[in-house]
Amino acid sequence: MLVKYINFIRGVAISRIGLIGVVLTTSSFVTFVLLEAARLLGLLTNTYVGLITYMVFPALFILGLVLIPIGWRRRKKATGLTTRQLLERKFADPDVRAGFFGSRVFLTIGVFTVINILFMMGASSRMLMFMDTPIFCGTACHSVMNPEWVTYRDSPHARVRCVDCHVGEGVEALVDSKLNGLWQIISVTFDLLERPIPTPVRQLRPARETCEKCHWPEKFYGQRLKTLVRYGRDETSTPWYTTLGLKINAGPGTEGGGIHWHVAAANEVRYASVDDKREQMLWVEVRQSDSSFKRYNNRRLTGIETDHDLIRTLDCIDCHNRATHIYEAPDHAIDDRLARGRLPRTLPYGKERALRALTGGYTDSAAAMDGIANSVSEYYRRNYPDRVDAADDDITSMIRTLKAVYNRNIHHGMKITWNCYRSQIGHVGDGGCFRCHNAYLVDAAGNSISADCTLCHSILAYEADKPFEYILPPDTTDPEYRMHHYLQREFFESVGQ
Amino acid sequence: MRIFRLALAAGAFLALAASAPAQDTAAGRCMTCHKEVSSGLYKQWYNSAHAVHKVTCIDCHGAAATDKDAFQHEGALIATMVTPADCGVCHAREAEEVGNSYHATAGEILESNDAYMAHVVAGEPVAIIGCESCHGAKVKIDPASPNMLSAKSWPNSGIGRLNVDGSKGSCNACHTRHVFSKAQARQPESCSKCHLGPDHPQKEVYEESKHGNTYYTNVDKMNLDSDSWVVGLDYSVAPTCATCHMAATRAMKSTHDVGRRISWTLRPPVSKYKENWAERRENMKNVCRNCHGSAFADGHYYQFDALVRLYNDKFARPAGEIIRLVSENKLLKSPAAFSNKIEWTYWELWHHEGRRARHGAAMMGPDYTWWHGMYEVAQHFYFKLLPEAREYGHPKVNGYIDSLLTNDPMHAWVARETKNLKEDIQKGRMQEIYRRFFETK
Repeated sequence: MLVKYINFIRGVAISRIGLIGVVLTTSSFVTFVLLEAARLLGLLTNTYVGLITYMVFPALFILGLVLIPIGWRRRKKATGLTTRQLLERKFADPDVRAGFFGSRVFLTIGVFTVINILFMMGASSRMLMFMDTPIFCGTACHSVMNPEWVTYRDSPHARVRCVDCHVGEGVEALVDSKLNGLWQIISVTFDLLERPIPTPVRQLRPARETCEKCHWPEKFYGQRLKTLVRYGRDETSTPWYTTLGLKINAGPGTEGGGIHWHVAAANEVRYASVDDKREQMLWVEVRQSDSSFKRYNNRRLTGIETDHDLIRTLDCIDCHNRATHIYEAPDHAIDDRLARGRLPRTLPYGKERALRALTGGYTDSAAAMDGIANSVSEYYRRNYPDRVDAADDDITSMIRTLKAVYNRNIHHGMKITWNCYRSQIGHVGDGGCFRCHNAYLVDAAGNSISADCTLCHSILAYEADKPFEYILPPDTTDPEYRMHHYLQREFFESVGQ
Repeated sequence: MRIFRLALAAGAFLALAASAPAQDTAAGRCMTCHKEVSSGLYKQWYNSAHAVHKVTCIDCHGAAATDKDAFQHEGALIATMVTPADCGVCHAREAEEVGNSYHATAGEILESNDAYMAHVVAGEPVAIIGCESCHGAKVKIDPASPNMLSAKSWPNSGIGRLNVDGSKGSCNACHTRHVFSKAQARQPESCSKCHLGPDHPQKEVYEESKHGNTYYTNVDKMNLDSDSWVVGLDYSVAPTCATCHMAATRAMKSTHDVGRRISWTLRPPVSKYKENWAERRENMKNVCRNCHGSAFADGHYYQFDALVRLYNDKFARPAGEIIRLVSENKLLKSPAAFSNKIEWTYWELWHHEGRRARHGAAMMGPDYTWWHGMYEVAQHFYFKLLPEAREYGHPKVNGYIDSLLTNDPMHAWVARETKNLKEDIQKGRMQEIYRRFFETK
């Protein structure tokens, strides 16, 4: 049998090119089967192997198959012989003699073709399945996708596959994503991409299809308490707290409701922005009970034509624009690590030093790693020579954490530096909520959209030393007595609603 | 336990809620947002006496529906601009005094030569920033503006601002918002926001004077934060502008009518005594006497009066007469005011150096009296004004000038020998010419 197979192979590999084709096809077939068997048996657990198993070997297999007929054609041209004459030369007479179902060679080729087709079907379905895994999206184009891969794995959606949000369902979405992928391969190969990559706001699937599979508006009700801890830049890195009772409910109808009122079934909000950054609004409209829209025009941006491509119905992504690929601001990253105990609070001026070390304006990653280590250790050696030995572990841990923070957020190759990708959740500066909730977007009567703090959240502490300051009884001698009193009542009343 | 405490807090809250006036809610709501969105302003307020007395945003910025500048803001009817009428709700005496003061008239400048000049020679932007920032704008309503105020009159904190509620002035011209610090208002820097520069260098004169000198040396001993601030009792090292013009003495109450102790008006081309000048002067001497003897205070006015009269008679009146003759005989080539060089010469003579000389004398600033003052008055009179007037070649003008330089003993020196003049000085004959300026009326 083996002899027959080898004879057949020899016969098929008519020229050097044909031989290469045969070797490629055979060896990639065998390796694929071995690797897949090893994976199924649990001998191979490294998911990165998928890149080779499912991407490289099937491709080589097909390449080999293509080379074989090319070899035949070339041979025919070179010798001037017909296929029959060549076949007679390469194979023993009985093999090429015509039988009832054709010659033996023909039958052998037929059998192999069926096997090949079955193999290709299996392999390509495995390939498509593999291409749906985050490991493929995140590592196949490593240099370009690494920042997104790193932030994704450190995000609340780390266990949701990339394709669940970025690729839709059905054949159309599949074709679309593969064409898009092809363009991405081209743009990476010929370096046509922008650095940093602009947020692909237009290519995303509609959030209502994606996000609402898990987070649908009716699921948001009541208040959600959130305490933000910030640390001072003083000697003890004193913590101070802002505690908000976020009114996240979607509300019963067009009236009332909290933050998710915007996406409740009864409501529709649409807007036109100046550009794809969606930071400056030309106008905002709210659907009224009679289905007409009430418009709020931006009186600071008059005389700009509305670009119809930039009109959008507000959905999840307009506020949660960084739900997954979250890039941290340096001071917030440090606050977060301090709060989670990953940065020691025992070091004097810990927050201050961490911030300075982290934001040293480094030109590349290697310089940053050296710079962070030097900045921290030099500072404590110079200013606290008596304590530096005892604090060695803390200093080492601080340096380790800061390096990790840096590598998570800063990606020199892609020109991603601090605050490159702005988050619109909440309101920093005049971003986030304040893009629409400000004094400049006004209706025909000149009324603006409310920016009242307690519209969206109760406040239980604001930059206070106690995380629930305003729940405690107010002190009548405090200048802020009236505010304290009001906020306490507002919280209890809104919880009771 | 925690739940119990929460319930306890809720109970306490319900008890409070029943008694909470709506005003507390409004006040609390303002503070809630502005603590973050205007954190600097909020912190200023937090450190103010207002905060101690729980005077919050809404107490000053709350508006009535009838107020022309009222607008809805997050459920409250408010006005951005706080006027003396608003402050006067609590500070009634001060608001009334300010309303009757010369400061309160500072905004009525549209008819003045100064305003004419700013609008015509420069242009409106200059009038807004260069004049009205100190003098006060006539506040205009703009319904399209987020706070109802025309951007041409907001911001404006001029001391004579003509407010839409009919009141005049702006307390924060001196009492800088939102700290409203007593100490800050009592310091000379508070006044020198406006009282400085070529036409009224009170700040510079003060800095030159012994008063300023000892103030800047001893500023830490001025007890500026004290509630009671009586000269001689609460502080004694130096007077500031406020001490002499406004603050309390043992015998006198403080006043927000800054003219109550001023006897001359040093502003116009020719100085005049103010109405009830003797009483006003006595008020000022009352301040002086806390640190100086009576003879010292009297002596100061003896010297000061003579200087003012000298300026009036020797230069201001003749210069005015020359301009009157030039104008009466239609000698000015261009019709518009300030389109002829001689008008500018005369303007600077009284409006700049003429005032500098008088202010220098009023506040013990020797250099401003002479080198920045009368010296320049004389130079511009003899070597600019007179030659420019003579250029017209008009007999009436020339006749007046000739007569002045010949017959007026103060000007006749021009045609005499230096040797003789020096001898006159030594013999006292020169001083005799000016004797009348020292005669008390």
